[in-house]
Amino acid sequence: MAETRHVTIDAEQLAGRSYPYQHDMALVERIDLVAATPGPDLNWLEDIHLLVEEGMPAVFDRYSNSFLKIYFDIPPGREDEFARKVLMAHLQSGNSYGIALKAKHCKFPQHMLGPWDESSEIVGRDWKPPTMAGWEKPSGH
Amino acid sequence: MDQVVVGERAIRYDARGLVEPDAVAPKTSQIDGERATFDAAGRSTREINLEIRRLLVEEQVKDITVRNPGAKHSIGVAILERCKLRFEGSLGYFGVGLIDGPEVQVTGRVGWSVAENMMSGVVVIEKNAGSLAGAAIRGGDLVIKGDVGARTGIDQKGGTIISGGNAGLLTGFMMQRGRQIICGNAGHGLGDSMYDGAIYVGGRVASLGVDCVEAELTGDDKEMLEGKLHYYGIDNPGTFRKFVCAKKLWNYDSLEPNERKLVL
Repeated sequence: MAETRHVTIDAEQLAGRSYPYQHDMALVERIDLVAATPGPDLNWLEDIHLLVEEGMPAVFDRYSNSFLKIYFDIPPGREDEFARKVLMAHLQSGNSYGIALKAKHCKFPQHMLGPWDESSEIVGRDWKPPTMAGWEKPSGH
Repeated sequence: MDQVVVGERAIRYDARGLVEPDAVAPKTSQIDGERATFDAAGRSTREINLEIRRLLVEEQVKDITVRNPGAKHSIGVAILERCKLRFEGSLGYFGVGLIDGPEVQVTGRVGWSVAENMMSGVVVIEKNAGSLAGAAIRGGDLVIKGDVGARTGIDQKGGTIISGGNAGLLTGFMMQRGRQIICGNAGHGLGDSMYDGAIYVGGRVASLGVDCVEAELTGDDKEMLEGKLHYYGIDNPGTFRKFVCAKKLWNYDSLEPNERKLVL
């Protein structure tokens, strides 16, 4: 079977699966966007809008440079609101690929979910530089 | 940690590029519940940053006051937590860069590139800022209550930059998204080579840059301006004009719009 080629990066392709909050509006409806972001307003979420990717409604996840598709019917007039709520559910659950990489690659102690969940586990305590088998440092380094 | 001998000197380095590989958090803060106060006098940049990070991660402190930052460079960088950070004094260049989530207040001035590459959060500077304030920010609010230097928001990819005073030349240079609100005057070359986004200027504009044009100020724009300025206690001059990209330099082929989405 021919491989499907994407021009852009698909969050589902990175994860190998989709997530319940992409399919069920009830799972995201109660998310408080103002409480979820710093400051007295929506802060960086003001820049997040509902987009269309490969014919599907989608929201851009800048933490992984990927598009997260939304499969439920979005009420008219609330497109951006639900795009932001789905994105926030994605970040708060730690499912964003960019956040998942922290467990292995972050170089100093920090909460796994950063500003999105302050009670999340701390990662980055034992970072070690990557090594390549058979490679030796150049003289003088 | 590695050590090599070069000539008569032994050089020690860390793969992360740390310039003070042996520095440790001084652990001298006074902690009261979720609040802490740290006196940075006499401490190096790395010691200050290690102490801030220790308080946030190890002590679970949510509200930190740093006294005597001494205008040191690169203070408060890479804070990736929701917290409140207050610097009582001025910061040097690259202050509070690479942050995601904190609400920062600086009671003094800041040097070049404050809050560069901020992902989210709020940074409020009570006095003036140097050039390149908010360079390449992707989100959040950067508020400078005084004047800002040249190239404010260069390569800005999102978020909002507010100056309560004047802005220097090439404000919004190569801006790609987001907003800038300049309550005073703007220098020459406003919005030069901007791709997208909007710049609001309350005072005079010395000259527009390449591909930057004036646009109609809508009701939504006025509502946004009133809201943002009200939040941060900045007087609204009520004379705002809006500047956007004329898009005459947009020469993309059929693939590039998709690539642009990845970049933005």
